Amino acid sequence: MQAPVEQRWSPYADNGGTCMGVAGEDFVVVAADTRLSQGYSIHTRNCSKVTQLTDKCVIASCGMKSDAITLHKHLKARMVMYEHQHRRQPSVTAIAQMLSTTLYYKRFFPYYTFNVLCGVDDEGKGAVYNYDAIGNMERVPYTTSGSGSALVMSVLDAQIAKSNQTIATPSLDKAGIVELCKDVLSSVGERDIHTGDYAEIFLIDAAGISKTEFDLKLD
Amino acid sequence: MAPGQYSTDPKQHTLSPIVTGATVIGMKYKDGVILAADTLASYGSEARYKDVCRLKKVGEYTLLGGGGELSDFQYLSDQLDEMADEDWLNEDGCFMGPKEYSSYIGRVMYNRRSKFNPLYNQFVVVGKKKDEPAHLMYVDHQGTAFEENFVATGFGMHLGIPLLRNSWRADMSLDEAKALATKCLEVCFYRDCRAYCKIHIGVCNGTSVDISAPIPLNHFWGHGAWTEKRLEDDDPTATW
Amino acid sequence: MVEVEEPQDYLDVFQSQRGGFSFENCKRNAYLAAQANIKPPTAMKSGTTICGIQLKDAVILAADTRATEGPMVADKNCEKLHYISKNVFCAGAGTAADLQHTCEMMESQMELLRMATGTEPRVCTVVRRLSSMLFKYQGYIGCALVLGGVDVTGPHLYQIYPHGSTDKLPFTTMGSGSLAAMAIMEAEYNENLSIEDGKKLVAKAIRAGIFNDLGSGGNVDVCVITKETGGAILRNYEKPNERKFKAQHAAFPKGTTPILKEEIMKLVSVEEDVVMRD
Repeated sequence: MQAPVEQRWSPYADNGGTCMGVAGEDFVVVAADTRLSQGYSIHTRNCSKVTQLTDKCVIASCGMKSDAITLHKHLKARMVMYEHQHRRQPSVTAIAQMLSTTLYYKRFFPYYTFNVLCGVDDEGKGAVYNYDAIGNMERVPYTTSGSGSALVMSVLDAQIAKSNQTIATPSLDKAGIVELCKDVLSSVGERDIHTGDYAEIFLIDAAGISKTEFDLKLD
Repeated sequence: MAPGQYSTDPKQHTLSPIVTGATVIGMKYKDGVILAADTLASYGSEARYKDVCRLKKVGEYTLLGGGGELSDFQYLSDQLDEMADEDWLNEDGCFMGPKEYSSYIGRVMYNRRSKFNPLYNQFVVVGKKKDEPAHLMYVDHQGTAFEENFVATGFGMHLGIPLLRNSWRADMSLDEAKALATKCLEVCFYRDCRAYCKIHIGVCNGTSVDISAPIPLNHFWGHGAWTEKRLEDDDPTATW
Repeated sequence: MVEVEEPQDYLDVFQSQRGGFSFENCKRNAYLAAQANIKPPTAMKSGTTICGIQLKDAVILAADTRATEGPMVADKNCEKLHYISKNVFCAGAGTAADLQHTCEMMESQMELLRMATGTEPRVCTVVRRLSSMLFKYQGYIGCALVLGGVDVTGPHLYQIYPHGSTDKLPFTTMGSGSLAAMAIMEAEYNENLSIEDGKKLVAKAIRAGIFNDLGSGGNVDVCVITKETGGAILRNYEKPNERKFKAQHAAFPKGTTPILKEEIMKLVSVEEDVVMRD
């Protein structure tokens, strides 16, 4: 006879969802779905993964919702503190470094969040930062995280980085990248059960942050 | 143990619930928000306490509904009562509403889970403060929290939510909302072993918070295929 | 080490040719799992919503069409309603391979029975044979079935679990979306429904599974079985999940893929005269 297995309480949960960020020359596009799920249940169809931190910077977090709430709350408080001290908003690069430190601070009881930090930096260039749960940070041209990230990455490699292609094709413009993000999230919604319902796309450029929403499938 | 002595055993936390409540249903309606829960507190699989109120008025405008460990629900209820008292003692003319309480409860739940000493509950915090829009929030033992128009905890998440997603509308009247919540709890009574056929309904409409007296549920078990006699000796259709 | 027994006598040869499942790798696999920590491959499972209702003179079954492998959708429009005989159909949840083969086996058994007896099979016959077989395999054949049909004694609806237990019910749901579908059933089922209303009810129950359970999705398949017409599967009776957005990508120009190596094989045809030997 096998000994009965005790069902232990876990402080962690996986609430699913997918987010992605793509940097352009002077803009950046962030997209994420709005499904909040646990196991085979959908908690809610409309819960944003993205928080605006400054006029030029947003963060999108997949993984565990309660850690993401806590992390975003903490970051927003730090934004206010910075502004009071320095009389200006922190740059994307500064926030990126602070987020890395914040995550590593909880190295042995990590925030179970997979973050994508996006914004326009002090030189006016699009910036995308990718993190793991414990604060490894990298500035990249494009990235994705969450339950459908493996599906997203392969398309971005082909369409943005144009990996392993011998014939040069024109790179996508602003509208093209937004269109691509919509298409990729729709496709991920077809195949990843934790991604779906609705999606938000944030476009950050010199004009500021604009948000558009669109429908994914509800099943 | 004698005074001054302390145990050298590792500190024990409750990581599984003992006396539990089942489903709580919450939904916004035209003029506010309602909450409904059955009156049973189970001890494992025993239907232990059959006249328990799992809804709790907090402050002036807020209602808390709890599923999961009942002692943790009562502990938090007492803490919130103390908070409400202090809020009143301030005499500053303003009182905390559902937004403040739900945010506070969310942080309590997250901090307790981070200490590996969770309050083993799924809460629904609802309310309406004067002319502000109605507020409804779900919080659970891991600190997961979100706002919605309607929500169900426990087994109700599986049995009640499909009905709510089909039938809920923002412009429901109070009677329609009550009927829908009652229907959800009736279905839970049919299929959830920890559910019961007596419920409380709480209503927040901006001016008052009212919890009803226990309401018995109507239920039906008379489907023909369940009640027909089979294997009768004189069954004319039998060919064996 | 693993021993593979050589056939010694007539009985061994007979045993080896009896058909049925082969268990010869069981010991080896257990050894690999324990010693080398090699996990057996996972089978495709359908986290599913299936349901059925019994009416006055008809049985209606329905199913979603999503097949999953873990969190991935393996098939968006698979068929979960299976033909067993003209008057008996079933809806399956669980391991896809087990369902397919169990239903095919039952289909052939019922056809042979029909030809041997010259009568149409009864629903209870199918249920007994399925439950005997599933019980024998102690739940290792992962078939959770909703089985319905109409025979000389009228309409019947059964549910069968992988361990072989059966239940005869007026309405039932199974699979990961069973609770969502059951909520609709409990709220709206009544045995006096017309066939048209019955179809609407099962479709609504499956839709509840599709939209509220992540293991279920895609379209709704319905199967109506009546005394007069037998059973008919209404494939994709509802399609509530059409894709909402599709971008028009420019096609990759021809020659985009880098060529790493080029090798042209020369194929020659060889003709030989076949010489018959005596």
